[in-house]
Amino acid sequence: MNQQIEDRKQESQRFQMRVLVHFGGLLPLVLLIGSYVRDELGFNPVEAALQKTGQIAAVFLVLSLAITPLRKLLKLPLLRYLRKPLGLYAAFYAALHFLTFAWWDYGLDFGLIWAEIVAKPFIIIGALALLILAVLAATSFRSVQRKMGKKWVQLHRLTYLAAILVIAHFLLAVKGNLLTLQGNYTFPLVLGGVLVVLLLMRLPGIRKNN
Amino acid sequence: MAKRKHGSVPLKKDEITPKPLYDSRRKFLKQMGFLGMGAVLASCAPAPAATSAPPAEPTGGLATLTGLTDELGNPLTDYNAVTGYCNFYEFTTNKEKVDEQAEDFVPEPWSVEVGGLVNNPRTFTMSEILETFDQQERIYRMRCVEGWSMVIPWLGFPLRQLLEEVEPTSEAKYVAFQTAMLPDVMNGVNSMMFPFPYLEGLRLDEALNDLSLLATGLYHESLPPQNGAPIRLVVPWKYGFKSIKSIVKISLVTDQPYTMWNTIAPQEYGFYANVNPDVDHPRWSQGTEIRIGENQRRDTLYMNGYADEVEYLYEGMDLAVYY
Ligand code: HEM
Repeated sequence: MNQQIEDRKQESQRFQMRVLVHFGGLLPLVLLIGSYVRDELGFNPVEAALQKTGQIAAVFLVLSLAITPLRKLLKLPLLRYLRKPLGLYAAFYAALHFLTFAWWDYGLDFGLIWAEIVAKPFIIIGALALLILAVLAATSFRSVQRKMGKKWVQLHRLTYLAAILVIAHFLLAVKGNLLTLQGNYTFPLVLGGVLVVLLLMRLPGIRKNN
Repeated sequence: MAKRKHGSVPLKKDEITPKPLYDSRRKFLKQMGFLGMGAVLASCAPAPAATSAPPAEPTGGLATLTGLTDELGNPLTDYNAVTGYCNFYEFTTNKEKVDEQAEDFVPEPWSVEVGGLVNNPRTFTMSEILETFDQQERIYRMRCVEGWSMVIPWLGFPLRQLLEEVEPTSEAKYVAFQTAMLPDVMNGVNSMMFPFPYLEGLRLDEALNDLSLLATGLYHESLPPQNGAPIRLVVPWKYGFKSIKSIVKISLVTDQPYTMWNTIAPQEYGFYANVNPDVDHPRWSQGTEIRIGENQRRDTLYMNGYADEVEYLYEGMDLAVYY
């Protein structure tokens, strides 16, 4: 009897978290489409859409990696329901980012697109990140997770690599000089700083203390 | 320095607004009691898309301005975009916020110090400049290194005319330009992010080319603050960052001058910075560009379409090395 009440309570909490994450996950898309139809993306809408989708994807990716440490720190076990959806939203916005690039900006001219990708290291890095995110999204289903067992966990640690690549891609996309930090590096540096902290927290010595 | 013959300004006669019409517009506006033409022009309809034909017959008044094209038939970029999407890092790095940030920038009084290796060094006040040099309209394409472009009707006069006034000596090989640095109104210069003042430079023969313009206005009004008021350079065959804004100082020098972007990231921004689809940039495509107001990328033209006028400047130079 008690068990049933527990289960139901858990089920409803899980539902609430789902609503929350889908609301937060779709909100940027709604805002983006809203700006687009109201012609508020500015004078260079392609550039704006490219930068916004990229930034949103990067934030969701780092956020999904922050969930486990936050869950432990804040002692909020419910947060665990956020991790996978946030990762999937990161992949979703990354796909949108790529579509903006390939379809809107380059009109699906694959010759031009390929030339751009191979000519620019920062785009190769972004493409690698996108590839990882695509594989992770494709294997994100519970059935696959169950079938793969331990291997799944290992595979999905690649999220960290994807995040490192994305930060590198972001830093290289900014106009200026990365070595002397002359340019608008605040956003990627803050995001990168969070990622470094998250990586440090995974070091065995630090992890045990949590 | 041997002067060479070269092509004339690539403007079709009928593209230059006839002087009487231009003057009557001015009078009309004065009579209407408008404070600035910008307010009127800002309400103009956006320029027609590249493919649509210009309006059939000018109906007189300001409407005709949007029917103008450059010599290749490209329509003017919408006034709102020209004055609302600007790179002017002294104010902010956000291109769409420069107009807002530059509101308090009142470029008066203003003077331009012209000196260095010249026989007649001189400081021109802005009114002296406007009195001495006839202002002409030039419709130029502007190609930004970031991969976007515009077509802009400038008012101004050839830089050559100013240089002739001061008479460069035979040792002068380059022209160095400097932007004003006004921390009180330019929020960006306090950030210490970039090594301001903004500096740019041209080789003397480039500066003497008839295309090199000192612009004092656009769209038939004096330059708005965000576009480099009250006087700026426009070198249409080079990436936009060469077209330095709000100039306070011009010096004739022997050695290639330091320029801001070249100092920050020399491997990305060369001194020459000629528009060249064959010389790639690590960040942006230089083979194609987005014309602001259009939806499809278009091919970037060698020397931004001004090759006939400027090619002689680079004879025998490997432009992949001197990018
Ligand atoms: C094949 C894959 C990708 C391509 C072709 C690509 C392309 C681009 C391009 C062209 C820019 C420069 C935009 C500009 O400043 O004008 C850019 C910036 C950016 N991209 Fe990507 N990208 C890819 C993958 C990714 C992925 C997977 C992410 C994140 C999950 C991402 C996040 C970003 C971010 C944050 C920026 C910087 C936006 C800014 O300047 O504010 N990109 N990308």
